[in-house]
Amino acid sequence: MDISGVSKSFGGVKALSTCHLEIHEGQINGLIGPNGSGKTTLFNCITGYERVQSGQISFRDTDITNARPDRVFALGIGRTFQLTRLFARLSVLENMLVATQRHEGWLRSMIRRAGSASERNRAMELLDFVGIAKLAHDPAGSLSYGQRKLLELASMLVADPSVLLLDEPAGGVNPTLIGHLADRIAQLNRAGKTFLVVEHNMEFVMGICHRVTVLSQGSTLVSGTPDEVRSNPAVLDAYLGGEDDPSTPQARQPVRRPMLRKREVLGGPEPLLTLRGIYAGYGGGDILKDVSIDVPEGAITCIVGPNGAGKSTMLATISGLLRPRAGEIRFDGRVVSGKTPGQILDLGIALVPQAHSLFGDMTVRENVEMGAFTIRDQALVRKRLAAVQELYPIVKERADERAASLSGGQQRLVEFARCLMLEPRLIVLDEPSMGLDPQTRQIVFDMVALMNRQGKTILLVEQNARAGLKLSSHGVVLENGTVRLTGSGREVLEHPEIGALYLGGAAAGAAAP
Amino acid sequence: MSALSAPAPGRARRTRAVVAGLWLIALVIFVLFPLVITDSTATTIAVYTVIFMAATTAWNIFSGYSGYLALGHAVFFGSGGYAVALAARDWHFKGGWDVFGLLPFAGVVAALIAVPVGLVALRVRRHTFVVVTIAIFFIFQLAALNLGFTGGTSGINFPIATFPPATYNNPFYYIALAILVISVLMSWSVRRSRFGLQLLAVRDDEDRALGLGVKTRRVKLIAFVLSAFPVGMLGGLYFYFLGQVYPQFAYDPLFDISLALMGFIGGIGTLVGPLLGALVLETLQQYFTQSVSGTGTYLIVYGVLFLAVILLLPRGVVPSLAMLWQRRRVRAATRAAESREPARRGDMAGVAR
Repeated sequence: MDISGVSKSFGGVKALSTCHLEIHEGQINGLIGPNGSGKTTLFNCITGYERVQSGQISFRDTDITNARPDRVFALGIGRTFQLTRLFARLSVLENMLVATQRHEGWLRSMIRRAGSASERNRAMELLDFVGIAKLAHDPAGSLSYGQRKLLELASMLVADPSVLLLDEPAGGVNPTLIGHLADRIAQLNRAGKTFLVVEHNMEFVMGICHRVTVLSQGSTLVSGTPDEVRSNPAVLDAYLGGEDDPSTPQARQPVRRPMLRKREVLGGPEPLLTLRGIYAGYGGGDILKDVSIDVPEGAITCIVGPNGAGKSTMLATISGLLRPRAGEIRFDGRVVSGKTPGQILDLGIALVPQAHSLFGDMTVRENVEMGAFTIRDQALVRKRLAAVQELYPIVKERADERAASLSGGQQRLVEFARCLMLEPRLIVLDEPSMGLDPQTRQIVFDMVALMNRQGKTILLVEQNARAGLKLSSHGVVLENGTVRLTGSGREVLEHPEIGALYLGGAAAGAAAP
Repeated sequence: MSALSAPAPGRARRTRAVVAGLWLIALVIFVLFPLVITDSTATTIAVYTVIFMAATTAWNIFSGYSGYLALGHAVFFGSGGYAVALAARDWHFKGGWDVFGLLPFAGVVAALIAVPVGLVALRVRRHTFVVVTIAIFFIFQLAALNLGFTGGTSGINFPIATFPPATYNNPFYYIALAILVISVLMSWSVRRSRFGLQLLAVRDDEDRALGLGVKTRRVKLIAFVLSAFPVGMLGGLYFYFLGQVYPQFAYDPLFDISLALMGFIGGIGTLVGPLLGALVLETLQQYFTQSVSGTGTYLIVYGVLFLAVILLLPRGVVPSLAMLWQRRRVRAATRAAESREPARRGDMAGVAR
């Protein structure tokens, strides 16, 4: 399969720009890259779920650019989805039978029973192959997350495709099952199947792939054997953020605490937020395992870690969107775990979620006012709006424009403005720089630093680890749902282990501090 | 619930025999009903009830299995009525059994109408689809009011049916029952076929179905047309029973809502659910309109019943009960397994998670 010069943009954001990729027959090809680098978009373009704007995709000399998904599948290209998608109310076996390809008229397809004996046998064989044959008659919706991944893989195999595209097969799956999955993929590969695997679990990718391609900001960065890719410095830069960032001047200054309280002066920096022994997950097992961190008041604390480490889960747990299974969260001395998101917001913790949380069809002013809709006192709302407008001129200048018409960076600022309307004490930012170019990112980071200087405690999750840690006074490294490292921003940044953490080899790495 | 969940072959065969027996008993009861209970009020109610049972079953073939909520099936119902009325008038039918011969024609008319309607409406999904079906429905109502050949607001009269007064309802009842049997057979064979599996796949995740090679557009359209056919026949029968067809009644929004309501209460996407929903609701509604001198009391009862079902059994009576039953069985099974081998559960859970 050959993909050449494919481009795709959503609105003003370029998701893929002249991306090239060759998939070699009979090999396991890996596709990696930081968040937002366009991996899933590329998958969608190949399989016909999204139309490409330019470029060509061909499969064994057949042009499949912008073909419909059912045609792509009929040609022998199967795919799985990042978040497993299956037919929840059908049984596991029925899920398998949907994919059986049988060339018959619609009239016959209505009269004949679904699944002949041989088709059923084949389906059962495949279920046995992935190891879930016992569950054949259970509704697919009752499967665990890992089992769903296995079913998705098996149901694709029913039609015997020659190329399999797997979108994060190991994401959110426990280590035992990952081993099982890698084993199955290798076995299928020996039987002649070609694979393209998108995966954040580097150990997994480096372990099974023959070739690895790195995508960065929508185009191909490098391509080569796992060892070549691992040792290529450009790859690490793509993950950790470019070295060429103008360094933030405030970054290396000591912690600023303009709102010092007496007891803090006496007892040293008192953490505003503490997590103790947090276990949390979304039903498919715990994502966070025994996480304990302190967020000091008046500081910027940055959480970094590879994708799937549990960063977003941690923020969801703090903001009350996800109830921890065990452990305790305290904010300013009060237990907040178990409270609703509304109550937590009222206590002064505001979350700015990962990109695109504005109401696109509402104006900028309306969006900002929404941030304060719980406040009854209109005079206070006006006062705060004025203050926010002073801080963010864009809120005033483009007050009556639709929020969706703003650029990504501008939208971020409006999101900040909105969260300031409640005057929170702790601002939680989920990847503020996601999808932004370096210059805009700098503006956004400057705003974060400014908010901090004005007394807000900030907890941020950042994919661009270098930039995030430079900005921060404290750093926390999360990996596989546990805390690997903590320290000052600089200590964490300069820790020798951090590179290994992003590009695999973490399991072989040194003992945790 | 499904034919595929069959753990042990011996038990499965026994279950199948029991189910077939129950269907047969139900059929016998329905066949004997007007012979045993000859009261004309009761048989009138029975005619309406069977018509609605069949219509809801037919509606379920599309909406229940595909998950696309169609609120415009009155288009097929009314058009079937007009087709029979016009044909009977223009071809000078005497009025008697001969008019029933036109019902397949009404079905074909409805199915033909369903093709362009489906092509338009099925381009969109979810709420938009619902709104589009409603809009198309109103187009038909307006057309019936304003076109010359439909007779405008006064409508068209059917030839007077020349059945003996004592058993006047019976021919209508048995024809309705025949259409009901056809609808149920259609629904059953769709449900167990590969085509039906594709429809259910569309319901659960249309994009993924597409990615597994299901020609979703074609599958949806065929189901839509299939479900229109019996509804057209039923429309012809229904308005022949009433004696005339006119726009407000032929294209009645209440008909659309009734089908959805009956389907939901019984449980859409199942074979028995729509039958049960229509049986209970239509009987109740007709009983109240006929006996409680219809001041709208029935609407209150209707509303209370609907609320109770939505709150207590949100997925409809049949699926909710099936789920409760399954949960009980699973619990019993795990208890049995636990008492047998408590040690093995730990490592099993590790692999299965």
